[in-house]
Order: sequence, then structure tokens, then C-alpha cells
Amino acid sequence: MSASGLGYGRYRIGGSDEWLMRIGDPAAPAVLFLPPLFEELNRTRALMASVMRLLAGEGLCCWLPDLPGTGESERALEEVSWEAWREAARASVDQPRATVALRGGALLDDAVDTTCRWRLAPVSGNAVARDLARAGLMAEGGGGYAPSEAMITALSAADLGTAARVRTVRLATDRAEADRKVEGPPLWRRSEPQNSSELAASVASDILNWMRQCGAC
Amino acid sequence: MTAALNDEQEVDATLRAVLRDVLGLSEDRVAALNEASPLFGALPEFDSMAVAGLLTELEERLGILIEDHEVDADLLETYGSLLTFARAKALQ
Repeated sequence: MSASGLGYGRYRIGGSDEWLMRIGDPAAPAVLFLPPLFEELNRTRALMASVMRLLAGEGLCCWLPDLPGTGESERALEEVSWEAWREAARASVDQPRATVALRGGALLDDAVDTTCRWRLAPVSGNAVARDLARAGLMAEGGGGYAPSEAMITALSAADLGTAARVRTVRLATDRAEADRKVEGPPLWRRSEPQNSSELAASVASDILNWMRQCGAC
Repeated sequence: MTAALNDEQEVDATLRAVLRDVLGLSEDRVAALNEASPLFGALPEFDSMAVAGLLTELEERLGILIEDHEVDADLLETYGSLLTFARAKALQ
């Protein structure tokens, strides 16, 4: 298996098998990616893949789970609970060295058994829920993501967990507090998915530095 | 969490940056916008999904909250109407 090897794995959660995408040697130290939620996931998939490839080149193995009800999952989103997503974050990779969470994915990283957490532009559950409602209002004739009322209620109440070793990076244009601000476009807002190799490179090097500081690699 | 904005120029610059980043417009196109420039329905990039992203990104960068009942076609008609709204929200 080459360092940039691409593969797929399965993890079992709530009686169904879900998929994980892997980039890197499966024997290498594991990094669990927690993707943005709902529409933002599609817009950042290329960015995540770029970052995963860069970290694989540094001797890490990156894993990106399909949360139940998303991606290739056979479950319907409206039947999935918020707790099932927390459980999926916990169960998809056994004791990863670090988590890399983007946007709403950061609402799941405190469920994971790890000691090193890295976040890009994290958002509160309430902000994700409002965005979802707004996108639903704007998209005439429905479409988009339709999670259950129970999921939306739990999501709205979800806050970013606090842990000893969490590093938060935001874009320079974001006014909220962060450990570091980096230049780059908010790809998660673009209706046409795009990528930024500059943002991927600065994100990957920051993750690597943070993992070294944590003693995770 | 965030300091209040107190400068009309800063709101203008923020709004242009959000249009550039959310719609993927070039610097030249964004710089050429004036108060009479039509937005929604005039820019092909500005579809209904983009409206949601634009409003949420404006909230994040200006430190404001936009209620759904405040959003209508008039608000998004021109650059000037959106700028007036953003200034009223951010500088109150």
C-alpha cells in the first residue's frame, strides 16, 4: 500500500454497516476526519481529500466516515438521530491519534476517544440548524436535506465541546476567536463546489504541527 | 465574542468580500458594483441556495442576526438595498 493509497472500509453502527474513505497506509497512525454537516459536506469534499492526501504524505492514515443517512449510507437521513451521529464519530475509528473537524463536524469531536483535536471554522449546533432552515426556505419546491424534527432539536442544543487539547483555526475573514487565522475562501458557502490548494496546504501543515505538539505523531 | 463595527466603509468592504467569497465573483466584478447594481435575478451565480449562504456568512462576519421575515426580494434587489440593510443592522 503506497502512502497515498486510497481505500474504503466499513464500520458498524446501530445495526447497519457504514462506509469510511481512507487515504494513507492503514497501518499508519490514524486521523479521523469529521466532515461538515449537510450541504456543507459536498462543498468541502475536495478540500478534505486534498488535506487527507497531504497528511498521508507525512506518514499518517486519514479516515473520513459517511455519517449514517449521508453519502453511501443505506439508512434514510430522516430516521437517523443526533445521538447516532455522535455514536458514529466514536465508533468509526478505534482511538484515533487526532480528530480533524470542519464546521459542524466539531460538534461531534468530543464524543471521540482521542487526546488531540483540531477544528476548522467550528460552528454551534444552533447556527447549523438555522442555516438548514434557511436553505430549506430558499430552495423552492423542497429538496436539500430533511433530517427529523428530533435531530434538529438535538442539533440546535448542541454546543462545541471543550477539551484540554483543542486547536481552533478560522479564516481571516471570520470575526470569531481562534488560535490562528488563515487566508482562504469559505468553500463551505459556495453553491458550486470548489477547492483551494493554498488553504489545503496551510490547513495540513497546521494539523501536523498541532499533532506534534500533542505528541500524537 | 466580536466587537461591534462602527464604520460604514467597513460594512461596505465586508459586503463586497462576502459577495466575492460566496458567489465566487472576481475582484473586478465586485469592485464594479455600485448602489444601483442589480443582484438577485441579475447575477447567474446568485441563486436561491447562494442567498442562504450569503445571509449566514454576513451574520458571521458582521456579528449580526438576520430574521427570516426581514428577507424578501426588495432586500436583495440591488447592491444598495443590501448595503443599506447591512449598515442598519451592523451599526445600530
